[in-house]
Amino acid sequence: MPAEMVLHLRVGARVHQHTGFAGELEGESGPLATPPMRGQMVSQALSRLDDSVLIREAQRGNRAAFEELVRQYDQAVLRLALRLTASEHDAQDIYQEAFLKAYRSLGNFRFECSFYTWIYRIVTNLCLDHLRKKKVRKEDAGVVVNDEGSEYSLLDQVEDERSGANPERDLMRRELGKKIGLALKRLTPRERTVFELKHYQGLKLRTIGEMLETTEETAKNTLFRATQKLRGALAEMR
Amino acid sequence: MKCETVQENLVLLIYGELADDARFQIENHLQDCSECTREWQAVRQFHAQASSLPALEPTPNLLAASRLRLHEALDTTEQSRGWRFIFDPIVWLRQMRFSPALAASILIIGFTAGTLTMWDVMHGNLRPSPTGVINPASSQASIAAISGISQEPGTNKVQIKYDTVQQQSTQGSLDDPKIQQLLLYAARNQQNPGVRVESMDLLTKRCGDPRVREALIYALRYDKNPGVRLKAVDGLQSYVKNDVRVRDAGVEALLYDANQGVRIAAIHMLQPVKADGSVRAAFRQLASKDSNAFIRRESQRMLASEANID
Repeated sequence: MPAEMVLHLRVGARVHQHTGFAGELEGESGPLATPPMRGQMVSQALSRLDDSVLIREAQRGNRAAFEELVRQYDQAVLRLALRLTASEHDAQDIYQEAFLKAYRSLGNFRFECSFYTWIYRIVTNLCLDHLRKKKVRKEDAGVVVNDEGSEYSLLDQVEDERSGANPERDLMRRELGKKIGLALKRLTPRERTVFELKHYQGLKLRTIGEMLETTEETAKNTLFRATQKLRGALAEMR
Repeated sequence: MKCETVQENLVLLIYGELADDARFQIENHLQDCSECTREWQAVRQFHAQASSLPALEPTPNLLAASRLRLHEALDTTEQSRGWRFIFDPIVWLRQMRFSPALAASILIIGFTAGTLTMWDVMHGNLRPSPTGVINPASSQASIAAISGISQEPGTNKVQIKYDTVQQQSTQGSLDDPKIQQLLLYAARNQQNPGVRVESMDLLTKRCGDPRVREALIYALRYDKNPGVRLKAVDGLQSYVKNDVRVRDAGVEALLYDANQGVRIAAIHMLQPVKADGSVRAAFRQLASKDSNAFIRRESQRMLASEANID
């Protein structure tokens, strides 16, 4: 895809879709991950520029500017909270608390890090507190409790393009999802959060370290421990 | 690279967190080491399994409900501002724009305070300063020098003694002794030559006063400004016949003044007394060897005319 087209799409996404983090997300994970394209880097710079204008306006009490910032990042915030708490109700509470906290303390934001790092730090801290308080939960990561209290599977919400064509494969995926959910429960809240941010949110370990207010080296060690534990747990379930 | 180190870094390799050189070394090692290659396959398998649990998006309903709830909560939430926003003029302007009542209040308070202050001034009700050190009149004077500083022991009170210079004005006739005294003082004002010229001009009108004549002689001998010295020559002109000291000052200027204009003026000043022995001696000296041709000629002319009279 030409760089200019990437730029156009990214800017458009900010307006219409508000997909959130344009910051230090990886292009793709894996040993042969490609470096970010030039257009992506330009869009990241634009994103930071736009953010700083919005933040300054919001700091001066402009409520509309703050709500624009919210719309840019709230989907990613809600996604992270939903995955870590496995509860729509709790995710909504964390979403609410995170943005209210950001609104109240935005005057003290010093532009020492990007806004998404800052808001993600707030969210991950709230999620960590939540995970620590509720170490024992009934539902696994693949099952969510909705507002009415009834459970449904996250996998039910995914439209598989081959769904229906291969019911056996579908069943296998559900089984594997449950196993991974159970394995994730064996991790400590911190390991769980680091694994989530790295594997599912695709953030750089350096950024994860900043969010958790620790070093990149500590984040690396935590990720290593998390993967070892998960591999062990999955091997036991075979 | 040791197998243990390689296996510890395989997780970082699969997540793309290794630097190029480390990645290159590990990839080379994997080509030769079957044990590490098996571990690498296991890591890749785990990565694929974990990735089969999709990163799901929150439902649109959940997102919309969350936004609505936040929007309502923001209505009742106060934003705490950093200290720097206290001094932010844009915030002040916004406050003014959205608070016409506040703007009107500030205007009324300002108007009232201004009116009361004028009332106090007009009725001479200026209260003494709470510090009791600097009164309103002295506060307008500039400080000339600090003569002493002392602190009361055990307190933070400091006493400072200082001299002030305060500008004042006065008016009166030239006969007024106070005016004359001020003009004499102005004649010796070393800061401003313009003031000296003005005072000299006025003093020449009352040159009968011995103090004034003294001031003019002083100016002719010592003033650095040639304009002032010329004024002094003018003022002393009428007294050159009767006052030997004036004559001597004129001869001195004629012989030694650095300014040729002042010297030429001195020639004209001394013309009435050109018969005087000291004046003639001076003219002779200048007529024979002065560097200025005009002064030589004038001196010769003075000597020649004197000879004719004789």
